[in-house]
Amino acid sequence: MNFPWNKKQKSASIAKDRLRIAIMTDKENENYPFMEDLKRDIIEVVKKYIEVRDIDIKKEADGEFEALSIDVQVKEK
Amino acid sequence: MIIAIISGKGGVGKTTATANIGLGIALNQRKCVVVDFDIGQRNLDMILGLENRVVYDMVQVMDGEASLKQALIKSKANENLYFLAASQTKDKSVLDSNKIKKLVDDLSEEFEFVLLDAPAGIESGYEHTIEFADTAIVIVNPEVSSIRDSDRAIGILDSKSQKVKDGGEVDKYLVINRIIPEMVESGDMLSSEDILEILNIKLLGKVAEDKGVIEASNQGTPIILDSKSMAGAAYFRIASRLCGNNIPIQEPTTTRGLVGKIKGIFS
Repeated sequence: MNFPWNKKQKSASIAKDRLRIAIMTDKENENYPFMEDLKRDIIEVVKKYIEVRDIDIKKEADGEFEALSIDVQVKEK
Repeated sequence: MIIAIISGKGGVGKTTATANIGLGIALNQRKCVVVDFDIGQRNLDMILGLENRVVYDMVQVMDGEASLKQALIKSKANENLYFLAASQTKDKSVLDSNKIKKLVDDLSEEFEFVLLDAPAGIESGYEHTIEFADTAIVIVNPEVSSIRDSDRAIGILDSKSQKVKDGGEVDKYLVINRIIPEMVESGDMLSSEDILEILNIKLLGKVAEDKGVIEASNQGTPIILDSKSMAGAAYFRIASRLCGNNIPIQEPTTTRGLVGKIKGIFS
């Protein structure tokens, strides 16, 4: 019960606040669900012109903006 | 019904839940099979007390080295319950989508309920186990790391399951395990309402922390067989709900007396 002499915040409510923020942050950092398919498609396209070694797609969030950064590594000659 | 029993991290009581829910379904006179998908970490056999009867495992069935009939083990406790063991020697990379689909299809021809004890959500092999499930039961402890990891496991379920890819939706239910009522009452453990609000899925049941669970696993007799156990009764209610019976959710209560309750009010 919340009495005035019980000022310390209970640990369960601290846990709830922390979890909310942690899960929200986890979700922001998550990949888009289509990431693997996109990766495969990009490889298909680029492969027509040059050999691909690896491809890395990242979702980046900066405030309100979201960016998709695609890093294509090509095979050395 | 193909039900994957999942969790975020390990050690939350997923295997215990699988064994007890499976046996509970069987006690409701419905045919049920429990399959241990935690390859390399075989444990369900111990909880069910069937470790000495394992001859063939599910990987051997999937590879055609043994028939289902040869590999299925009948429970000692109930004739409606069967068990299929995980492979102990191979690792999780042996799992292959097509083979899993065939195994699960074959099992659902014979059994009304197919329960898959999945590896923890953060482990490899998890994605394969959930692939062909139409229902998932998430086991969570009222504790931050378990809840956070569960959210991630649910996220993977929502993007990788075949039912979702086909435009459907996997039914998701939550079982909150290891609740300590005294701590919830004093505000030092997340309440079920808090957890449901964070994870946003339907509640299937609440199970209190129960020392009897360890004694039960020591003996290989699932706690649901102990008529005096609160946790056992909670698992029976969960299984009955899955069988379509409308049983209200019961709040685990403290067992302390009047003096303790008065103390609790002022703490």
